[in-house]
Amino acid sequence: MIKNFQRLGNQFKEYVLLVVLVVVSLISISLSENPQAKKLKAFALSNFAVLSELAESGSSIFSKDVSLEELKLENAKMTLELSRLKNAALENDELRRMINMRDTSTIPLIPVRIVSKLATKIQGNYIVNRGSSSGIIKGMPVINYQGLVGLIMDVSVDYSVVRNLNNSGLNIAVTLQRSNVDGILSFDGRNLVMKNIPTTYDVKVGDRIETSDFSSLFPPSIPVGKVAKKESNELGLLHSLVVKPYASIEAASSLFVIGIVPSKQINQLEMNLLKKP
Amino acid sequence: MSNFLKPILYFFPLLILQLTVIPLISIFGVGPNLIIITAIYYALHGGQIYGMMLGFLFGFFFDLLSGGVLGASMLSMTIAVFIAGYFYNENRVDNNTASYFFLVILFIAAFINSLIYSFAGNFNPEVRFSALLLEGALLPACYTTVIGLAVVAFKMRNGRL
Repeated sequence: MIKNFQRLGNQFKEYVLLVVLVVVSLISISLSENPQAKKLKAFALSNFAVLSELAESGSSIFSKDVSLEELKLENAKMTLELSRLKNAALENDELRRMINMRDTSTIPLIPVRIVSKLATKIQGNYIVNRGSSSGIIKGMPVINYQGLVGLIMDVSVDYSVVRNLNNSGLNIAVTLQRSNVDGILSFDGRNLVMKNIPTTYDVKVGDRIETSDFSSLFPPSIPVGKVAKKESNELGLLHSLVVKPYASIEAASSLFVIGIVPSKQINQLEMNLLKKP
Repeated sequence: MSNFLKPILYFFPLLILQLTVIPLISIFGVGPNLIIITAIYYALHGGQIYGMMLGFLFGFFFDLLSGGVLGASMLSMTIAVFIAGYFYNENRVDNNTASYFFLVILFIAAFINSLIYSFAGNFNPEVRFSALLLEGALLPACYTTVIGLAVVAFKMRNGRL
């Protein structure tokens, strides 16, 4: 009996090995959000990212300019401020009193630089050159001077992983600024899409989209993008809105982490939504 | 140096290139995969079992160091290299790696690798299948094959890498 198994094992050793490796891989995928796995990744990342950063600084030798970085920081602050002012103007038009509007301009911005990118169409990730030693924690939003870029997902001492908008695992509560229509923005592998918006809602191509008041992952009123296209479903009752992000995700280099620390409990609840079912 | 260790030493510089330089030459998020080129090349030299082990190891380190989903690349590379391993022939190693036939093998393996990686790393059931197939798998495989031309050209001129 045992000899038969040995003979079969020898005869089909490639297949046996394939099955073993595939099973190990599948177990790894299922445990990828496990704290131990995260710890291992953070440890590996903190050691390897040093090399990536050196290589990246070599490849970006022509674009490195301190004054440019400062201007980008200023621009990012102004983007947030402009967004806030646009909201205020709209509300004034409607003769509504501004109440309890969060002053986003006072939120500290931590400048970071991308040291490596994972260039795939589904898993949009960056590794940036600041980590917990700079006050970055998991769940902090990331912007550039144009608008929202993503969210901090993993943090090591000196480096962090950013899940960007082009990642199918990131869902964001957003609102259309002009008509206050709320929805969930996600990446469908090709575009950013807001699904299931009733056709009766007032939505126009070009409408500005920003983070919603309902999201505790992101502060409200961070510019995300604009409506590029409306697609109706078969019955014509619901729209899918294709959104063009303001931030150029593929070409991003300098980013800013919004240094807010949301309530731990809310943060934990929201981060749970990002996990695999 | 042992031929079995050589690809592991090549892997880390290539991974740095993959994560820092390749995004600069990627087109709309579609870029070549240097890691799969290396894995396929050495699988065609060392055979299916060796290739699978190598693909699994490369995938493990890639997942660990790229910030992606742990296990996604392990799975995709293992299966891609397993399939490429069917083209291994001890007597035709040079023919397989120093001819345009290498590009055919590379394209098949890169397509399978990208496709499985896209599916394994995708947590959103609403992601379009066509996007996964075309932009997630077919275009990166084409781009990888184009870069693989350099390997073939180098091999044709200089012999073994």
